[in-house]
Amino acid sequence: MTEMLHYVWLGILSVFQGPAILEIAGVGLPVALVMLVAGLITGIAVGATPGLAGPMAMAISLPLLISAFGFTPDALLPVFGFLIGIMKGATLGGAVPAILFNLPGTPDAMMTTLDGFPMAQRGQPRRALRIAQLSSVAGDTFSDLVLFICAPFLAVVVEAYLDLPEKTALLILSISFVAAVMGRSVGKGLLSVSLGLLVAYIATGNDLSPRLTLGFDVLQSGIPLIAAVLGVLIVGEIFATLERLWLDNHALDVIPVEKRSTQDGLQPGDIRRISPYVGRGAVIGALIGALPGVGSTLAATLSYTMAARRIKRHPQAQPLGTGAPEGIAATEAANSAVSGANLIPVLSLGIPGNAAAVFLILAADSIGGFNPGPGVFSMPDGALNPQLVTVFGIFTLMSLGNVLNWTVGGGVMRAMGGLAKIPATRLLPVVLLVSLTAIYVQETSMFAIWSTLAFGVLGWAMRKLAVPVLPFVIAFILAGPIERSAREAFAASGADPWFLFSSPTSVILLLLALAALMFLGRER
Amino acid sequence: MNIFLKPLLAASVLISSTSVGQAEDWAPPGPITMYVGFAAGGGADTQARLIAQGIEEKYGWTIIPQQLPGNSGLTLATELVKAPADGTAFGMVVSETLTYSAQAVGDPALQLDKFTALATTAEFQSGLVAMAGGAFDSWDKVKATAEAGTPIRFATASDRQADMAWHLGQKTGIDFNIVEVRGGAGVMDGLRGGDVDIGWVAGAQSKSVRQGEMTNIARGIKAPLADTPDAPAITDLGSDFYLDGYFMFIAPGGLDPVAREALGNAIRAVAEDSATEANALLTKGFGGPSIRTGEDLDAYMAEANAAAAALIKAVSE
Repeated sequence: MTEMLHYVWLGILSVFQGPAILEIAGVGLPVALVMLVAGLITGIAVGATPGLAGPMAMAISLPLLISAFGFTPDALLPVFGFLIGIMKGATLGGAVPAILFNLPGTPDAMMTTLDGFPMAQRGQPRRALRIAQLSSVAGDTFSDLVLFICAPFLAVVVEAYLDLPEKTALLILSISFVAAVMGRSVGKGLLSVSLGLLVAYIATGNDLSPRLTLGFDVLQSGIPLIAAVLGVLIVGEIFATLERLWLDNHALDVIPVEKRSTQDGLQPGDIRRISPYVGRGAVIGALIGALPGVGSTLAATLSYTMAARRIKRHPQAQPLGTGAPEGIAATEAANSAVSGANLIPVLSLGIPGNAAAVFLILAADSIGGFNPGPGVFSMPDGALNPQLVTVFGIFTLMSLGNVLNWTVGGGVMRAMGGLAKIPATRLLPVVLLVSLTAIYVQETSMFAIWSTLAFGVLGWAMRKLAVPVLPFVIAFILAGPIERSAREAFAASGADPWFLFSSPTSVILLLLALAALMFLGRER
Repeated sequence: MNIFLKPLLAASVLISSTSVGQAEDWAPPGPITMYVGFAAGGGADTQARLIAQGIEEKYGWTIIPQQLPGNSGLTLATELVKAPADGTAFGMVVSETLTYSAQAVGDPALQLDKFTALATTAEFQSGLVAMAGGAFDSWDKVKATAEAGTPIRFATASDRQADMAWHLGQKTGIDFNIVEVRGGAGVMDGLRGGDVDIGWVAGAQSKSVRQGEMTNIARGIKAPLADTPDAPAITDLGSDFYLDGYFMFIAPGGLDPVAREALGNAIRAVAEDSATEANALLTKGFGGPSIRTGEDLDAYMAEANAAAAALIKAVSE
């Protein structure tokens, strides 16, 4: 236990005593902290801009951050600081245009428009924003606490009880679960997962002659990770949005609210009114967030529906959908509570659950020296595990991010209100150009650019055919770990072909995977 | 010999004898592309980049690093063999890329004679590694466990290491379960997690061994290991071969001897200069710089190539 506290302390120190960006009166300003603040403001701005989303900003900034900070372990905390800042800021910023212009800045803020916009129309935009901020930050903070407590525990359990075959079975369960719960049908989810695996298996593996290259030399090093992920996730989204704007030029126009009542700002009794809804939303969000693949939109919808059902039982209460603070609170608490808990499988198992987590894994993978997975939490005798220090550094940054969101977040949110007026037809081409430049900066090859565009077209086509894109990306990232652990398990068992069924745990995990595919998909 | 060839021959003798002086004047005809056959951010990648940086500072040449990892360096070899042989393209691999791996894959375009070896930078500190204080922390314990009938999981990070593990098993009568994992870091993670019992590591184990977490139960190279001087050599245990090797720079075949010498000298000058960051890294993480160039290097590569052929023959019998 004391050893754990020692690591916590080292983690906090690693943030504050890391390389300084500049010195003010002899006191160094740690670069990780500066990056966190910069990320937070960027995140709120991005969240507040319809058409942009947190993952998009993370995707574009990642290659730039890596070229700025390099591939040394010193780069980990500043880069993570910025990415976590974006993640936290975007959940907050998404509510801004939802409330002010009836336009969700991020998809998970859809339900916020239902009560936020009517409240703003009644002349209380400030009150709506304030409620959104409080609920969002409360949900986020709760979720982070769940992460801090659960991730090390889960990792230790996994490392102690899961051998190579069970680890393989667990990974199979994760991608099956993702395929089952995302998108309209299990079939489409599985299609997306299979495509991701297929692409990831090009030119990988142990053989000295690269496989699946069809004789093309450019494929010998495989598809660049960043090209596939950014292509499908970001460029595909840009293509789809541009197409929508091409068909309807006013799809993303804003409806401004000018009316402002004198009774704006937080009303007496508001906090007491929303607290139970914030609490329930936070729990729902954290529970859903801990499962890979089930996103914040579902958490928000679930929490809002539950709140609506509860309100109906009190006939004298203000019904949801008419500008009730409970509606904003339930939505914002739930969608923000997803982000922290989502890092539980990332840090303890290396399994990403949503797009934001994908980019955190991508950052760790590109920089090196930090491999999310059970090994991160090991405490070897007589040696220091630098990865564990990094984890507590990340936790410190997350806590600081929450403090900033509590204190200055509201002000930044209000300041970003105008961003929604930037026309998407101008914004998206710029984003596309910056994305491609960023990819070139990291990969320095035109092949990466061409493959990004090709995957962009794939991402657009998948959206057109309602095939979910996130399973593709998650499968692409997990393909390597699945193959490696399966190979290793097979070899370590002395080439036993039934290695996956060698222990009850792994059989149970496989049965769960099957059950997920059979039962979870039926409900939609 | 006709009248035209005689002066030509004389001229070529003259040119080669004066090449020592010319190497000092040599400069690349344009920016140099340096391919790196290792994942970005790892020790080997950092080493290559720091040496490039040192050369840029010392000589004013422009070097552009480009990652080409995969297939034990053969991805790099496939690309490099097509590059111009004028000193504007070279790459960092390990010596076994052009010896064992090239032979194992059998592509005639990728064999040792299609490349020019420029300079080695560091020698492998290969050891057979296990957790200190565990059930396998000496060769006697490994042997006793195997004789008791328990399968032993042996982690390897390349095909050559896997062949060496198989060969060692053949010679010592132990039927190892050979597990191929990703890199020396993968071997060490497997040991820590208890997924494997012993494994080859080519130098990355140094820190863990010094901190007492792991131990070298045998050495894979001729000279004693710096961290565990009394670890027995694998040849003492029964192996016919060493698991030796170097990190090294290579260029396309047929490189002008003047350019070869100039590049080799440049790498040596940076790696051996204790004021450079490259030297500091080599000293801290790779057991010190170990530079071999020219004929000395050619002789080593020929010897290693023959040993690789013998190993491949030995394990396929």
